[in-house]
Amino acid sequence: MIWLLRHAMCDMMPSAAGLPALADAGVDTFLAQLRRETSGLVWLGLVAGAALYVVTPVFTLGVPLPSMWLSAQQRDRHAERITSTDVYLLRQAVFLVKMYACMCWGQDADVRRGLSVLPYPQGADPGTFRVS
Amino acid sequence: MKDRLHVSFQPRGPEVVVDADYVVVGSGAGGASAAVTLARAGAHVVMVEAGPWREPHDYAHTTYGAMRDMLDDWGSTVTMGRAIWPIVQARLVGGTTVVNSAICVRTPADIFTAWERDHGLTGLADQVWAHQDRIEGELCVEETAPHAMGRSNELALQGDAAAGYDGHIIKRYAKGCAGSGQCLQGCRMLRKQSTNVNYVPEVLARGGGMISCAPVTQITWQGTRATGVRGHFLHPQTRTWGAPFRVRARRGVIVAASVTRSPVLLRRSGLRHRPVGSLFRAHPGTGVFGVYDDPVDQNVGVTQGWASTRFRDEPGLKLETLSIPMEMAVSRLPGGGAALMERIARYRHFAMWVHATRARSVGTVRVGWGGRPVVRYGLDEADMRTFRAGMALVARLHFAAGAREVLPGIHGLPAILKADQVRLIDEGPLDPRSYVAILSHLFGGCPMGADPSRHVCDPRGKVYGTEGLYVADASLMPDNLGVNPQHTIMALAMIVAEGALRASPGA
Repeated sequence: MIWLLRHAMCDMMPSAAGLPALADAGVDTFLAQLRRETSGLVWLGLVAGAALYVVTPVFTLGVPLPSMWLSAQQRDRHAERITSTDVYLLRQAVFLVKMYACMCWGQDADVRRGLSVLPYPQGADPGTFRVS
Repeated sequence: MKDRLHVSFQPRGPEVVVDADYVVVGSGAGGASAAVTLARAGAHVVMVEAGPWREPHDYAHTTYGAMRDMLDDWGSTVTMGRAIWPIVQARLVGGTTVVNSAICVRTPADIFTAWERDHGLTGLADQVWAHQDRIEGELCVEETAPHAMGRSNELALQGDAAAGYDGHIIKRYAKGCAGSGQCLQGCRMLRKQSTNVNYVPEVLARGGGMISCAPVTQITWQGTRATGVRGHFLHPQTRTWGAPFRVRARRGVIVAASVTRSPVLLRRSGLRHRPVGSLFRAHPGTGVFGVYDDPVDQNVGVTQGWASTRFRDEPGLKLETLSIPMEMAVSRLPGGGAALMERIARYRHFAMWVHATRARSVGTVRVGWGGRPVVRYGLDEADMRTFRAGMALVARLHFAAGAREVLPGIHGLPAILKADQVRLIDEGPLDPRSYVAILSHLFGGCPMGADPSRHVCDPRGKVYGTEGLYVADASLMPDNLGVNPQHTIMALAMIVAEGALRASPGA
């Protein structure tokens, strides 16, 4: 299911306005780590959000195709419109995907420097805790 | 110095058994304050914390890491109602004090009047304020210094001066805040006085103990007397279950596991008392971005430096600055694809300010699948009007501070509003599903009061119908405050602990 989530997340954050795309911001490493570490509930929500993103171009563009078969331009329009759909649960599910896309993208050092935010140090999340 | 006891995750094996005078479940604002009060009186106290003990050098830098390492279940607890709004609670030693902005507000006098009138709670005010006096000294409460404020907070002060919101620089539990803007991921610079860097170590220095990575699943009983707690260790990374543990408490059990977890623990421990899980209340809040001509760089400077309580009574709001991490802030911007990236490109020019609604609506906390809390909660129309008014007030504050436009993030409204369009917010939707909000201040679930048919705890936190069982966290509060609750939680927890000591003196 990683490929599905990767597709939806990357559509949310393409290269534009001089900013790097999520696809160039370590998304594969991020998703592998997320799959390994996150709870089943969060993963389920993300996969559900990505799946809904894929099957809904028929509602946003009137095109009865999964989103990965659309042109880049169509996918861009779909990504913009699906985030403001009137269907609340769909909007929330896609928001979860977008939030994790932003979380991955926003920890990239080049992205942070570009927005004048301090880059995170190497080994930023040690994940350690006291054992004694 | 006495022996220090800390037991972390233990793999599957024989039961770990620890004896104490008192066991305190939870180590956040309530649990740590209760524990330190008991320990200062000479009692042997063992704290039991569901999450791990992370020192400041263990803290994550990234938002991803903070969600993984610090939040309860990756922040996945949400309200079940018309809208799904996340509930922010931490799960580590120090509890939510590790990830909040350390805002210190004394309990307003009108709260005690209302609690006495509505819940029969008498004589609390002087005790609470006396404790708050002492806590302020111990935890180095001070206003943020000008050099640590940052541009976003300075703009709010300017806007306030122009709009007349009677705001102020926030007082915080922080000693010499450097304005690193890392409150929400834990203060690695040791300036913020979360309980894991003061009260918890003091309890251990006084001979107490800490059992971490140890979610409590049940209170143990002898008749109606609480005799301890038990559960199984849970590894914070692999989420594998470890050995069983049990703490036997000779004098009392203090539950301070949070507004969502304390009522669940009582219910799972056999307390079928109807009010358990009732009177859940909150301060739902959300933010409005202002867009300024000059860069704001909102992540430089203190996370929250300015607030206004002028609207606390009418319509029931608190306004604040809040600089959340960049990756979370950009996810709040409207849209997706190239349009989203174009909005993000102006990130340096954004300032995010928020409101918290003193909502009157009431919800419940119940036990869900796997022992997870299920929070049923939603805002009624009157509260939604207040909520909407808060957004308009924040938007007007931005314009008073010189913002070119605002991004309200309300579904159904234009993504960007100019100054002459704020009336669109005034007339905006009252459907909670149109807003992206969070619940960060929670109250109730084990409310205290004089009526056992309506309240879980008596006016000093003892659970009705039991012996030796007390609640000492925000779940005690039978109503919300309209201000940040940490200071009130700490003082109430100390009062509960003093009551527990009096009830079982010098065993």
